[in-house]
Amino acid sequence: MAIVTESQRSITRAEVHQTITRQSKHLPSLALGVTLLIAVSFTLLTLFALLARIVTQAIPALTEKGSGFLTDTIGSEASKVGIWPGLFGSFGIGLGVLIIAVPLGVGAAIYLEEYAKQNALTRFIVVNIRNLAGVPAVIYGVLGLIIFVGWLKPVTNGGTVIAAALTLAILVLPVVIITSMEAIRAVPLGLRDAGYGIGASRWEVTRDHVIPYAMPGILTGTVLALARALGEAAPLIMIGAITGLLPETSLSGKFTAIPMLIYSWSGRPDSGDSNVGWSNAAAAAGLVLLVLVLAFNIVGILLRNHFEAKRVGS
Amino acid sequence: MKLKQWSLLAALTVTLPLAACGGDDGASSTSDAPATSEAPSTSDGGSVFVTGSSTVEPISIKVGELAGTAEGGNLKVTVEGPGTGDGFKKFCAGDGDITGASRAIKEEEATLCADAGIEYIELAVAIDGLTVATSPANTAIECLDKAALYALIGPESEGFSSWADANAIAGELGSAYATLPDAPLSIYGPGEESGTYDSFVEFAFKSISEDRGTDMVTRADYTASPNDNVIVDGIESADTSLGWVGYAYYKAEEARMKAIAIADKEGACVLPTDETIADGSYPFSRTLYIYVNKAKAVENPAIAAYVDLYLSAQGGEQVSAAGYVQLDSAKQQLSVDAWTARG
Repeated sequence: MAIVTESQRSITRAEVHQTITRQSKHLPSLALGVTLLIAVSFTLLTLFALLARIVTQAIPALTEKGSGFLTDTIGSEASKVGIWPGLFGSFGIGLGVLIIAVPLGVGAAIYLEEYAKQNALTRFIVVNIRNLAGVPAVIYGVLGLIIFVGWLKPVTNGGTVIAAALTLAILVLPVVIITSMEAIRAVPLGLRDAGYGIGASRWEVTRDHVIPYAMPGILTGTVLALARALGEAAPLIMIGAITGLLPETSLSGKFTAIPMLIYSWSGRPDSGDSNVGWSNAAAAAGLVLLVLVLAFNIVGILLRNHFEAKRVGS
Repeated sequence: MKLKQWSLLAALTVTLPLAACGGDDGASSTSDAPATSEAPSTSDGGSVFVTGSSTVEPISIKVGELAGTAEGGNLKVTVEGPGTGDGFKKFCAGDGDITGASRAIKEEEATLCADAGIEYIELAVAIDGLTVATSPANTAIECLDKAALYALIGPESEGFSSWADANAIAGELGSAYATLPDAPLSIYGPGEESGTYDSFVEFAFKSISEDRGTDMVTRADYTASPNDNVIVDGIESADTSLGWVGYAYYKAEEARMKAIAIADKEGACVLPTDETIADGSYPFSRTLYIYVNKAKAVENPAIAAYVDLYLSAQGGEQVSAAGYVQLDSAKQQLSVDAWTARG
């Protein structure tokens, strides 16, 4: 065993002190700092460039149409086109996804975390749910086309907002389940034990302690899931969203959604004789979609803050 | 019953908050499905659903807009454009009142319709030309024939990276353009799913592929995009590019591309213009059709009203407005006759 002498120790101490104080001159850490800074600024720059481009492109369309851009229907001329059917469809899909995916997803998560026996079967199910979260969206589109548009036609009336909402709800379900499970797992065991200790049933503990405590995490997952559902175009292509002409909007009739309009409009030619081209209309639609997602997110964040405050207060 | 109540409730929850934001045109529409159009009275319009070719879609949209806004017209026309093939699949499954097609119906599609007991009327509505184009900076190429195009873009051209690489095959095929320059060859066009791809392959390769026993496809190594803007960007960006787009698209972006004339059977070079396409002298042009479901047209007067408008002079104006070429009066009359003779 090495014997540490006093002199050796003082050298070590001096070295340690030096290492701490000269930190800024240490080359590798300086290089790392710069690299990380580049990574951050690259990401931010890309984001701002994208936003700036969308906004500048959108301005001609929005100034030309004003609020009519939100209330008019789709059509053949970029300068006259509005986004109402897409807004109706996307809002309906968002609401439908909330109504369908959140209760199902949170329910499944509670079952898997609180009720299911932790055995091989449960683990197998959880692994599969995780895999489902990585399945490409277009696959869910095929599923939706066969099941919700085909088999369940009596219920959904074919390619409608209802069919789209069901498909996208299934698409985001794994995300809701996984984030909810993580949130529930993060609830301190002591909280449950305390509940059981005073004679509460499993359901009472889950309802009064676990769910409220996990709520902020569950809401974060919900917001992420919703943002994904609102941004998807691929499954809607499969289901048959309309991009040509759609004079009527209803939940059980033909439908369209904003991502579909962006996809379709950005492929149309910009003729030179108008100052509002399809690229402007597509950018304006993109801006509306961003605002819509932001609005849903803000509601989610406010709810999360509400539950977090409650958690601290109780 | 239960469903209806549910969807009504859902419709209210969806429309209420939106109505507050000023979006009131759609708020009045509730859960009444337009899909089952059981004998709508002409006074409240009635609904028509048009599917099919994305090439015909712009015309159908414009006629639909006219039908919705023109004096006395308040038809509710819904238009989508998944493609000619997909359109027939839906149409022959009874989904869709009318389907657009950038080619005549194929035998197997006709069988599909017959098996489902769906009778239809075929109506020619417009002519579309394909434009083979290069960059405006390319002064070396003015005209090409089918053999040269086959040598440049056909299935045997895989890997050719210079125009000159195609000279051997072009010469073998007896092309008058077998002395192509040694310049980089970058090709842009629509992908296989597009009707414009099908038409191009049919126009340019069909007879040659049959002779040589090759598949009627393009080479796989070209830049394929479903987005016409991407194709135009590509054609414009490379000095010695080669590509093809629909004539309507070329007309909208004329300044960014140079059309290459196509040699006809006699070897005369013909540039795509409204005139050469209408009179059929431009080799790469095609007729666009709509197919109308006979039984549905009888029971739903809205469909008849829409098709009437489609074939009228006003409909013809929409064809031009959408960037296509109107049928000449004889061909137009054939369509009108076929429609009025539906019985």
